Amino acid sequence: MTTVSVAGLRVSYGNRAVLDDLAIELGVGVHGLLGPNGAGKTTLMRVLATVLRPDRGEVRLLGHRTDDRVGLRQARRRLGYLPQAFGFYPRFTVREFVEYFAWLREMPAARIPLAVDRAIERVGLRDRADDRMKHLSGGMLRRAGIAQAIVNAPRVLLLDEPTAGLDPEQRVEFRTLLRELGRDAVVLVSTHLVEDVAAACARVSLVDDGRLVFAGHPEGLIAAGGDGDSGDSPIERGYTAVLRGARQVSR
Amino acid sequence: MRRALWVELRRGTAPYAALAMFGAGVWVLAAHPDDWGGRWVGLADYLRVSLLVLCPLMVCAGAWQAGRERRRDIGELIAATPRPGWHSLVAAWLAVTLAGVAGTAVAFGGAAVLVARVATYAGGDWWQRAAVGVLALAAASAGGVLVGRRVPLRVAAPIAGLATYLGLAILTYWNAAPARLSPAYDGRRMYSLVPEWVIEWQATWLVALTVLLLAVAVRRWRVALLAGGVAVAAAVPISTGPSWNRAPADPAAVELVCTSSGPEVCLTRVNAFLLGEVAAVAQPILARLDGIPGAPRRAVDHTVRPAGASVAEDADTVWLYLDFQATALGGLANAEDLRTAFRQETGWGCAYRLQGDEFDQRIHQADNMATDWLLDGSGFWAEGASAGLRELPPSAQRAWFADYLDAVGRCDVPALVRLAEQP
Repeated sequence: MTTVSVAGLRVSYGNRAVLDDLAIELGVGVHGLLGPNGAGKTTLMRVLATVLRPDRGEVRLLGHRTDDRVGLRQARRRLGYLPQAFGFYPRFTVREFVEYFAWLREMPAARIPLAVDRAIERVGLRDRADDRMKHLSGGMLRRAGIAQAIVNAPRVLLLDEPTAGLDPEQRVEFRTLLRELGRDAVVLVSTHLVEDVAAACARVSLVDDGRLVFAGHPEGLIAAGGDGDSGDSPIERGYTAVLRGARQVSR
Repeated sequence: MRRALWVELRRGTAPYAALAMFGAGVWVLAAHPDDWGGRWVGLADYLRVSLLVLCPLMVCAGAWQAGRERRRDIGELIAATPRPGWHSLVAAWLAVTLAGVAGTAVAFGGAAVLVARVATYAGGDWWQRAAVGVLALAAASAGGVLVGRRVPLRVAAPIAGLATYLGLAILTYWNAAPARLSPAYDGRRMYSLVPEWVIEWQATWLVALTVLLLAVAVRRWRVALLAGGVAVAAAVPISTGPSWNRAPADPAAVELVCTSSGPEVCLTRVNAFLLGEVAAVAQPILARLDGIPGAPRRAVDHTVRPAGASVAEDADTVWLYLDFQATALGGLANAEDLRTAFRQETGWGCAYRLQGDEFDQRIHQADNMATDWLLDGSGFWAEGASAGLRELPPSAQRAWFADYLDAVGRCDVPALVRLAEQP
């Protein structure tokens, strides 16, 4: 079932189009969003997170058009978002921070305490729940950010570079969490780490220069690569092969 | 909202705002206890005077709180949530306001405990005046929230606070109609009743201003327009109506309370908590004057002296200035200042009226003798001047003082010179 639908999307900063005529359909499951720096991944995430209004095109989240005020509010209630630049209030404890975002996401008050505990536990911060945010390490902050994103049990979860700052063990745990979350929600993970995509994502989308140049299963991306392509792993070789091919076509 | 408010109260700018307001409150109260000691209406008035300092602090706190999203780079995360922006802004504003008001309330509450022990007049409109002061603090923090939300500078908070201080200072001392919109004033309205319509319109003006500032901060233009309309509607009668600087006296506040024994000393009910100590200073002097022709027979609170007061001006009365005479604990601050009132009875006015060739140092000598005699040798500005006079028999001393009062009343220079040389 398609729960995120984007058609004819155009976003530009000044005269430069960052996303141009982009269309993408996402269903339940974990989706990887790959692309080189400046390809438009974060811009797409921001559009889907409803914090950036596109110049053109239609965005539907869970069936609601985001250019409709009522629909937008309903969609946001079931949306979780971790931006690339994750800001936080340093004096809040982890619990208070997650609780505050549960309130901002208009969760029923009675459900908040349990949901907060569950979210904190899922990211492995239960023993640090009452620590102030300013006392957390970079990896713990990222996990607190994920906790606030999942506190409302979102149907659409957007994670922009979620594994930045996580150590290898935490990344493995995070992939497990992603797979768990992807069972009944659309999870879109923007990352540079193609191994994360290979390990945790059911589908992958590759964006280059504002256009979608690949959409399919990780196996498809792996298959696109050959021995002559650069990369240390099959999926990295597929990634570079697809990019090279897309750039040749556009020339 | 309660959940967010609770978190903001503990983790936002609120705790610092409470501490700052408490500290500032204690500081301003300690600076001038003579303005409020023993008087409820004095304390309420002093809160309004203190708004000159407290409002800028609230502006500063509001601006710092509202600038937090930008400082912490969390705006994007919040923008992706469904809750309307004004909810979190109002929670943040409310937290700062409640904390700031609580800090002020603790400071002024401490002063209220001291006042309650001795106050002799609890009537009047003191609590309405104080309530308008609280509304002013809420409006100030809303102003800060607007600045913090709209001005993307880290220094916006201190600059806004400083600008508010300067603005209020100008309005406080600017004797013009628009200045009446300022909630801060220079005090001195302890004995009058501010007209009810003024308090009502001031409250309306401040509430509407608060809503207007918050609505502009979150770009709710319709609400802003509505609140702006109400604010203008309230501002017009305040700034165009008759000035309440000359508000009528509160009859109950200026009702005289007098000593029941000894020479009569009367204070207004507002100042009656000082009656015992004032009587201890004034009665021995009045007793000394008893029976001397032309000498005052009683001492009365000067508050009732203005036109329309219950006691007409007469030569029999010494007027006592008690406006700045209370300590924080409700005692008499300076008995020596009180004696000054009696010094006026010893003719200094005549000496000052004379100019050039007319003036003779011996007039001062006579004045000093009279003052020193009146205060039984304890007037520090003329100590010992009446030593010779006091060696005369009591009846001669009183006769000398009667002659002196007569000469001073007519400003008879030769007679004053003669009296100076007489003993």
